[in-house]
Amino acid sequence: MSDKPASYEIAVERLEQIIDRLDSGQAGLRETLELCREGRELVTYCAAELDAVGEGLKELKLDELAQKLDASASPGAS
Amino acid sequence: MDLPGPYAVGRYARKLEEEMRRRARVSLIGEVTGLSRSKTQAYFELRDSEGAVPCAIWLNELEKLELPAGGLRDGTEVVIAGGPDYYRGSAQSSPAFYFRATHIRLAGEGDLLARLEALRKQLEAEGLFELQQQLARPVLPRTIGVVTAEAGAARRDLLAGLERRGWHGTVVWAFAPVQDRHAAPAIAGAIQGLAAQPQVETIVVARGGGSLADLWAFCDETLCRTVAMLRVPVISAVGHERDSTLIDDVAAVDCSTPTHAAEAAVPLDCLAAREALKRCAGSLRRGAGGAVAARTPHLVALARGPGRALRRERQALNQKTREIRAASERGVTERLGFQRRLASVVLERARRRAAGPEMQHRREALHRAEVALRAHEPERTLERGYALVEAGEGEPVTSAAAAVAAERVRLRFADGSVGAKVEEDA
Repeated sequence: MSDKPASYEIAVERLEQIIDRLDSGQAGLRETLELCREGRELVTYCAAELDAVGEGLKELKLDELAQKLDASASPGAS
Repeated sequence: MDLPGPYAVGRYARKLEEEMRRRARVSLIGEVTGLSRSKTQAYFELRDSEGAVPCAIWLNELEKLELPAGGLRDGTEVVIAGGPDYYRGSAQSSPAFYFRATHIRLAGEGDLLARLEALRKQLEAEGLFELQQQLARPVLPRTIGVVTAEAGAARRDLLAGLERRGWHGTVVWAFAPVQDRHAAPAIAGAIQGLAAQPQVETIVVARGGGSLADLWAFCDETLCRTVAMLRVPVISAVGHERDSTLIDDVAAVDCSTPTHAAEAAVPLDCLAAREALKRCAGSLRRGAGGAVAARTPHLVALARGPGRALRRERQALNQKTREIRAASERGVTERLGFQRRLASVVLERARRRAAGPEMQHRREALHRAEVALRAHEPERTLERGYALVEAGEGEPVTSAAAAVAAERVRLRFADGSVGAKVEEDA
């Protein structure tokens, strides 16, 4: 992907623009193929984002999260 | 009757008025009944189970108090401040005794509401209601922080709401007491703790319904100021729909239930989004394929263009060729005709020149030769009863050996042919 979208919603917004443009039938062949390439990259990105919140709910307590972060921040600490 | 007086009643009334107004100012608590208004004053009785006092307050003073709309009504418990007053009347107007109220505030829950309203106005005036609402909320957060009671139903409802969304990211719990009206510092600390974690993209504060006193911690000024100043969006799901806490006003989103809070925390319905994404992918596939397919007939037509043009040119060329040939043939024919006409004239002249005795002599010699030639033709011989023996290809068989070698021959008579098989004599 040329530039990773800033967020899922930005990716979806761009994807909708692309679909609208394609549906309008106004895009030339070169533009169409370019839009389809970009669209496929956005679909891949969005699918990955959905996969990231689709693999099973994880629950943490704030203290546990803080401890994990502390541990990762100082890997040499015993 | 050994009493002082008699005094003029008007003079006594004025003294009574002065005496009443000199009495100490106090505050009274009781229930409002019989509320009515004139052009200048509001009148009511302040009552409890043991008695009542008629009260009056100037309308301009009442308006300055900015009580909640409908806060002062029959049945409301209020605390009033003021002192006794006596209106001595006049020649035409009747005297009256009142407790002249100069301040009124709602007592009990009403009192809390009044204080809440005052704080709400103050925070709103400071612009604190807008800060959270200006924050961008992610539609698909990976990590959500939640402040709630560890054993509360809100926790279960929130998880159920996230499940219905099809969202299975990470929930970071920051449990805090939510019942005690002094729980505000713990709640504020939990929210700040979550906001300090970079992964936490949205914070939900959830608690079930209750009385205003139960929910009072969520009206705490410090807590609300803390929430307002956070750069992480906070979703408030405190109390039920009818409950209104101050945290609802400063939060980015105010939800009536934890289930709604789950939907606000994850605005994207992940299940529906997956389906929509599939449709998008399909559209893109069709878009790419369709763009080529739609253009193919045109391209094919364009590709045939040169061929058509060549055929057209070739046809034109052929036509020209035919025309040229036709013209040429016409020219040849005309020339041939001319030559033939010329030859016939020459021949006629020659014939005329040859039409002499020499020519007649030659004609007779020629006729004789012709007759002699005809006498040698095989047909003449066959007419006389002879037969010609021919092999397969019609070549004449002129010897017995050749006949034996041919095995099968044809015998040609004057009137036709028959096949024959050759047998050697024993």
